[in-house]
Amino acid sequence: MNARHIGIIAKKEFLGLNHEKTILLAILLQLFVAMFSSFLMVGLTSMYDPSSLSTSTQVRYGIAIDGANTTLDGLLAERPDFTVYRMDLSTGLAALKERKLAAVIYVPPTAADAENPVQVTLYTLQNDIQTAVVQVKLKEVLLEYEEQLREVRSPRLSATPREVQFPIPQRSEGFYEFVYGLLVPLLVFMPAIIAASLIIDLITEEYQHNTLETLVATPVSFPDVVWGKVLACELLVPIQAGVWLLLLAVNGIRVQNLFPILILVSIASFILILLAALTALHYRERTAAQFIFSTALVIVILFVVAVPGNPLNVIVRAATGAPGMALPETLAVLGVAAMVLGYVTHRYAERIGRLAQLGG
Amino acid sequence: MQGTLASVLTVARWEVKRSFTTLGRNVLPLSVVLFVLLLLATGYTAQSGMHLQDGIYSVGIDDPSLAVILGGDTRFRVYTADSSTLEDNRGSYDLVIVEGRVLRPLTERGRAAAKSLERDYDQYVASVYTRADDLFAAYPLWIELEPVKSELSFDATQSGQYLSVWQRSGEPPVPEGPVEAVAPPAPDLPVAEEVLREGLERDAGTPDQIARYTSLLSDEPEYSTFRTPSQLSPPLPFDSIIFVFAFIFPLYFTSQFFMMSVMQERIERKGEILLSTPVAPSVIILGKMLPYLLGMLAVSTAVILAAGAPLSVLLPLLPVILFFLAFALLIGMVSRSFKELSFISIFFSTVATTYLFFPSIFAQVHVISLISPLTLIVLQLQGETITAGQYLYSTALFYLTSAVLFLVGAVNFNAERLFNELDFFPRVREFIAASLSRDHPYRSLVLLNILLIPFIFMAQMMALVLFFNLPMPWSLLLLIGTAAFIEEFAKSIGIYTLFFEGDARPGWKTLVLASAATGIGFLLGEKLFLLVMLTQVTESVFGSILFLQQGILLLWMPLLLHTACVFVTGLVLRTGGKRWYLTGLLAATVVHSLYNLYFILGWMR
Repeated sequence: MNARHIGIIAKKEFLGLNHEKTILLAILLQLFVAMFSSFLMVGLTSMYDPSSLSTSTQVRYGIAIDGANTTLDGLLAERPDFTVYRMDLSTGLAALKERKLAAVIYVPPTAADAENPVQVTLYTLQNDIQTAVVQVKLKEVLLEYEEQLREVRSPRLSATPREVQFPIPQRSEGFYEFVYGLLVPLLVFMPAIIAASLIIDLITEEYQHNTLETLVATPVSFPDVVWGKVLACELLVPIQAGVWLLLLAVNGIRVQNLFPILILVSIASFILILLAALTALHYRERTAAQFIFSTALVIVILFVVAVPGNPLNVIVRAATGAPGMALPETLAVLGVAAMVLGYVTHRYAERIGRLAQLGG
Repeated sequence: MQGTLASVLTVARWEVKRSFTTLGRNVLPLSVVLFVLLLLATGYTAQSGMHLQDGIYSVGIDDPSLAVILGGDTRFRVYTADSSTLEDNRGSYDLVIVEGRVLRPLTERGRAAAKSLERDYDQYVASVYTRADDLFAAYPLWIELEPVKSELSFDATQSGQYLSVWQRSGEPPVPEGPVEAVAPPAPDLPVAEEVLREGLERDAGTPDQIARYTSLLSDEPEYSTFRTPSQLSPPLPFDSIIFVFAFIFPLYFTSQFFMMSVMQERIERKGEILLSTPVAPSVIILGKMLPYLLGMLAVSTAVILAAGAPLSVLLPLLPVILFFLAFALLIGMVSRSFKELSFISIFFSTVATTYLFFPSIFAQVHVISLISPLTLIVLQLQGETITAGQYLYSTALFYLTSAVLFLVGAVNFNAERLFNELDFFPRVREFIAASLSRDHPYRSLVLLNILLIPFIFMAQMMALVLFFNLPMPWSLLLLIGTAAFIEEFAKSIGIYTLFFEGDARPGWKTLVLASAATGIGFLLGEKLFLLVMLTQVTESVFGSILFLQQGILLLWMPLLLHTACVFVTGLVLRTGGKRWYLTGLLAATVVHSLYNLYFILGWMR
């Protein structure tokens, strides 16, 4: 191995990437993913926490109720979100169709302690985002009513659950789990996956454009060529992942253990890149190599995620700063795996280089 | 005609033979092994669950038997100690449960932990109640959801009636229209107790995750219209969406193969032989594409049959398949190297996935979700029938864009275009330029802008889906700005490629004429498109921003707007040169947005 040769090859690949400006696409892609996830978050918040939609304005939704007089009337009236009217069902529905009401409720004359359940009918507008909001607000009221009815019928219950009191939930619970449990590992590992598919392209390109013979004819040995390409891809990973974590920090998402996370991702991506390089060296043709590698990657990821204490989980725990993340152990295991793979790749590249020289 | 068909088939046969020799005996056996492994991995993951968020919270409890409320949630690490120790060391846990009370620190993590614990607790409570002997004592309240279709048309919402849902006064609203007599619903549940219990158990989470996907496709029992209050949240069809991924995933791979096959023809000018045959480029493209199209259909059918889904799911899949193939063709024709191919295709598939998946999350909630054909699949999987109107609405854009892309591909499928070594953007520009005629620049500008309309709508739809989740004034303003920018960018493409090549600059007369031609083409396309479809989206207030011009009586106003805005871009380009392109675009966007704002605000007051 010759460090200078490796450096030259890595530089060549970097220049190629820079020339094509495709790296811009990769960055754009990550930005897109980030934007998409933040919109997804906002979208889901507004659905499950409708109060976030109407923070300042106290909107009151018109609700019509008909049928039996029950405690539900009182529960609805207590709410600041609703204005409740006692209306005839037919008139109420006509008003609902004209969007003069947000919902119509019909309560049957079933007694609270009856054998049968109380079956309330809820009329709402079809295909309207407002309906989703009203439904979530009504759900809270109906849950209270359900609790009241359950209380009345409690003598008939054979088992009751353990009681636990929760603190009053606060608004803007945030998306802690989504951000740290999904977004961070996704963003951090995406550069690794991109780098792995990049090395397949870099290696198969030499084969398919028949430029390999020229390269091998120079003093640069074949393993040097491979290592140079691996180096170019590997260097991209911590840079991209680091930029991500910085961007997250700018957005107010503080990720703990920055440095260990970057090391872990670098080693993990090194393994992926070597696996991809081996695949590419074996198939020498992009379609086959990419297909086999990406299918295998899906399988590996599925398996890894299912194992407790997997590297992704370690990253999540490290990012949140949760105790007991077993970082050194994970790093050691990954490091050993990387070294073994590195050795295999080197021997394999040497063999291919010898064969190429013999053939040439 | 028959001769063309025969040549298509011949090219298709070559393609199959070629791909089998490249993929060869090396790949096929291994891919069978990989497929088996994939099934095993899926099964294993389904069995053991995702362990991504294991142990991110720590909880201290004083009563070990309380651990039951966690239901084995691996996100929590549970520590047991007596109450006084816990009280003293509250800082070292995310949550503490002492004497049946949950205590949490006021940090972000503490709150998130409390929320997760509360969800677990709800599940635990549900699991206890579901097992109750007297189901109607545990679940005394059932709600039947009756969706009502609003009779107000889009025109009516313009006059501000939309806001009247929010009542302020104490007087009950009086309907203006006729009141239809509605019989009150019967007080008795028409569903057997056991069926309801079954539904509850299913919601509480069956241990086998695979079963959830299979039961999704079995006949839904009747309970589904009856819910307990806790089941009342707007349903997110996450399960169906994950399932739909099984349909889309093979499409990614197959389109990759097609992309690569197109690219192969360009490496070392291998495709010259093919081009030298006396068949038209379109025939070559169709022939090369046919095996992949059939392959995708076959895989999709296999997935459908394996899942026991209705075969009609193929209908909304077809335009998606064509869309993927059309893009694969162009990506294969444009990329200069493998790495470029990879990056562009990754980029394309991410954007396409977003467009396809994001709306379908809201399948049950809003009509906007119909812009993705996947929503139709989700609906079909849930046993709903889709109408021809819905089908047209959500697939027309896919059919149209695919057609336009194939057209561009066919026009450019020649030796000069395939084998040159230009940079990416000049290449793309060349592709567009080749589709335009230099002898009839104005005519081609009109045509180009008509053909661009479906893409513009697609981009705007995406913006719509992204923004409509934001709080109201922001979503509206952002949407106005983005929609205007997308339109201005699209309109400038034609003029930019035709008249600003190299250092060339058009004369004033040319610029005015070209702007007018662009404006006319754009308006024609828009009107044509609106005529063919789009009734549903215009019902919402967001539709009015995208398709504002429709509501405005006179045609000359939008024509003037489109012409003026593209002229602004051209003007800036002409005076400032190409470096000012973005500035010109932004200036045009501002003009356009102000126009739209004026009309929207005029409506909404």
